[in-house]
Amino acid sequence: MSLHCENVVKTYGGKDVLHDVTLDLKPGKIYGLIGRNGAGKTTLLSILAAQNPASRGTVTLDGEPVWENRKSLAKICCSRELNANAESGLAAMKAKEYLRIAATYYDGWDKALEERLVKLFDLNVKKKLGKMSKGMLSMMTIIVALCSRAPYTFLDEPVAGLDVVAREQFYKLLLEEYASSGRTFVVSTHIIEEAADVLEEVIILHEGRILIEADTQAFVDSAVHVSGKIEEVDAATAGLEVHHPETVGRSKGVTVFLKPGQRVDGSRDVSVQPVSLQRAFVALCGEEAAR
Amino acid sequence: MNERLTEQKSIYLQISEMIETDILREILLEEEQVPSTNELAKLYTINPATAAKGIGLLVDEGILYKRRGIGMFVSKGAREKILSKRKAAFAENHVAPLLAEARSLGISKEELLTMIGERN
Repeated sequence: MSLHCENVVKTYGGKDVLHDVTLDLKPGKIYGLIGRNGAGKTTLLSILAAQNPASRGTVTLDGEPVWENRKSLAKICCSRELNANAESGLAAMKAKEYLRIAATYYDGWDKALEERLVKLFDLNVKKKLGKMSKGMLSMMTIIVALCSRAPYTFLDEPVAGLDVVAREQFYKLLLEEYASSGRTFVVSTHIIEEAADVLEEVIILHEGRILIEADTQAFVDSAVHVSGKIEEVDAATAGLEVHHPETVGRSKGVTVFLKPGQRVDGSRDVSVQPVSLQRAFVALCGEEAAR
Repeated sequence: MNERLTEQKSIYLQISEMIETDILREILLEEEQVPSTNELAKLYTINPATAAKGIGLLVDEGILYKRRGIGMFVSKGAREKILSKRKAAFAENHVAPLLAEARSLGISKEELLTMIGERN
């Protein structure tokens, strides 16, 4: 079983938001989808979940197209940040009605888990969505995703409105659900550091293109920060993929992405330090901003 | 098992080292069951595959062994094995950086030995 998209292009008003995206989501993994604002994360997730048609390209689940395919759709849940403003028409809806409607979409809806999470998050489900805080709306997004029991579940910015304690609680719940069900999750987030250790695979989307799709640990291990005297750093990293150079006086620091078999020349007088997923991401996608 | 994870090293290595340290400190005893990958995953908020990789490393070295359908256990002689492994790595992990720092500070070997002697 796998959810596959091939050469997906999405054009809005003559502008390509996604360029030729090909991706294979294997069952039983937690993927992280990271990218800057406007990179196309939400567009990609909504196309994978057939909530939004691709301009070109195909999305298939176990070889069958997902678009207008009832059987496939029941297996995919894309839970987004709720927008409970007047235009969305959700403002007047009570949280419990919203959950009841969500439950009818998914055959495997876990009512017991819903009750447990409502209690855990201390949510007042009689409240109208329009009256809910950003944090409460994030909790609704999480409840729908976890309770859907959909084999492929996407969480688009699930932690954006949550405080640090609730975020940690969410990741523990996600791991618990993952361990007991083996479902596939794709989580998109801006708060990379906290999510890094939870994500088995990382997908970096940049300006509508997939830049990296790799085992998170392998990707992080492939990146190192090299610093020292400018000439020494240049010599130690000659021929390597160097990003995000920063210089202060005679001193220079760079982030290097090593390909298998490559290494930084250790005979030079430089410091070589590991980097976090967040630093690696910034080095890769933040260069225009730094210039 | 309650040390904190750092960014300085791969998570799976930290998991295996933490289990080793607990065996050395006799927090985990030989022939005793160690936490499951899912328990470790939840405790540290890490992917279970990462926890499994750390445990796998210790199984490969014979420090842990699997009892089918039950879980992972500390092998007999594990503590001795960890001790000799860490002793073997001591020179590389601790003495080499000490000498490198001493060299860049211009501390002679004699001065260094005197310092060590004074500590005892």
